[in-house]
Amino acid sequence: MKVVVRAFARFREVVGDVNTLDIPEGSGIQELLTALGARSHECRDLLFDEEGRVREHIIVMVNRRRLARNAIASTVLSEEDEVAIYPPVAGG
Amino acid sequence: MLSEKETGRYSRQISYIGEEGQERLKSAHVVLAGTGGLGCPAAAYLCAAGVGRLTLIDSDQVELANLNRQILHWEKDIGRNKVISAREKLEAMNPWVIIEDIFETVTMKNAPALTEQASLIIDALDNFSARYALNHAALQNGIPCIHGAVCGLDGHITTVIPGRTACLQCIFPHPPGGSDVPVIGTTPGIIGLLQAHEAIKLITGIGTVLENRLLIWDGRDSSIATVHLERDPECRACGINSSYATRTGERQ
Repeated sequence: MKVVVRAFARFREVVGDVNTLDIPEGSGIQELLTALGARSHECRDLLFDEEGRVREHIIVMVNRRRLARNAIASTVLSEEDEVAIYPPVAGG
Repeated sequence: MLSEKETGRYSRQISYIGEEGQERLKSAHVVLAGTGGLGCPAAAYLCAAGVGRLTLIDSDQVELANLNRQILHWEKDIGRNKVISAREKLEAMNPWVIIEDIFETVTMKNAPALTEQASLIIDALDNFSARYALNHAALQNGIPCIHGAVCGLDGHITTVIPGRTACLQCIFPHPPGGSDVPVIGTTPGIIGLLQAHEAIKLITGIGTVLENRLLIWDGRDSSIATVHLERDPECRACGINSSYATRTGERQ
């Protein structure tokens, strides 16, 4: 199935603007992020910590709705879902 | 009541917001936490717009490396307290605005008292521990807080209205790392101006503010995206088990 990935800020530099990704039927957010992380070391470092967990501060949105941190592991995607990823900034 | 001088000074905006809108700006007290990359442009435009009282909070001194973006601080100000440097420029810009300077670091302990007199708060800080403290104070005092942050060519902004919108802790439950970040000066310029813009809308009642919306600025191609936000019922700062919910009676 095809899902759309919208990457913001630093992710956009690494992943590109909008990607349509073909992932196996029944895949979830975790599988999608793993597929993105496999694209390059930089991608993986941005998404995952040293223990392979999705970095805590990253904001994941599915169909423009913010996904709760504890829902990342359990959220299953459907055809044409849009997943947005934003690593928030902190400076002023 | 506006003087003739003030009516003349603000005539181009009074023709849009009316004398009533200008009176609202004059009656407003904006507490601006941070007088750096975001705080300088935000303060400059709020001062020019005729916000009645501006309180500046910062505990930093001006450094050479600030000058690419912190436009109220000049070469001659290096080593001086930022709040004093900023106050001088703002007073010279518009003598009708009362400027207060507070040389302090924003903490959980002092934030409620620093902000209790405000009609609204601008979060122009540069780190998340102080931002969380300001968020708590905004919730505690029931005062809207306009949050902005930047890095490199990226920035974001949202307007937090206690009890009505997601708070900073709902949106960013885990602090992003990094403080000494690279930054192109125009990035905080853009986000700081958007913060001032949100403030003017909130005070005068024109337009709609970024309630439950996070505006994300990408300076690479000058594009803007907004994403929908929701309150987190489990939020440590404003969720059902927080002291905020108990105090405001939201906890049923």
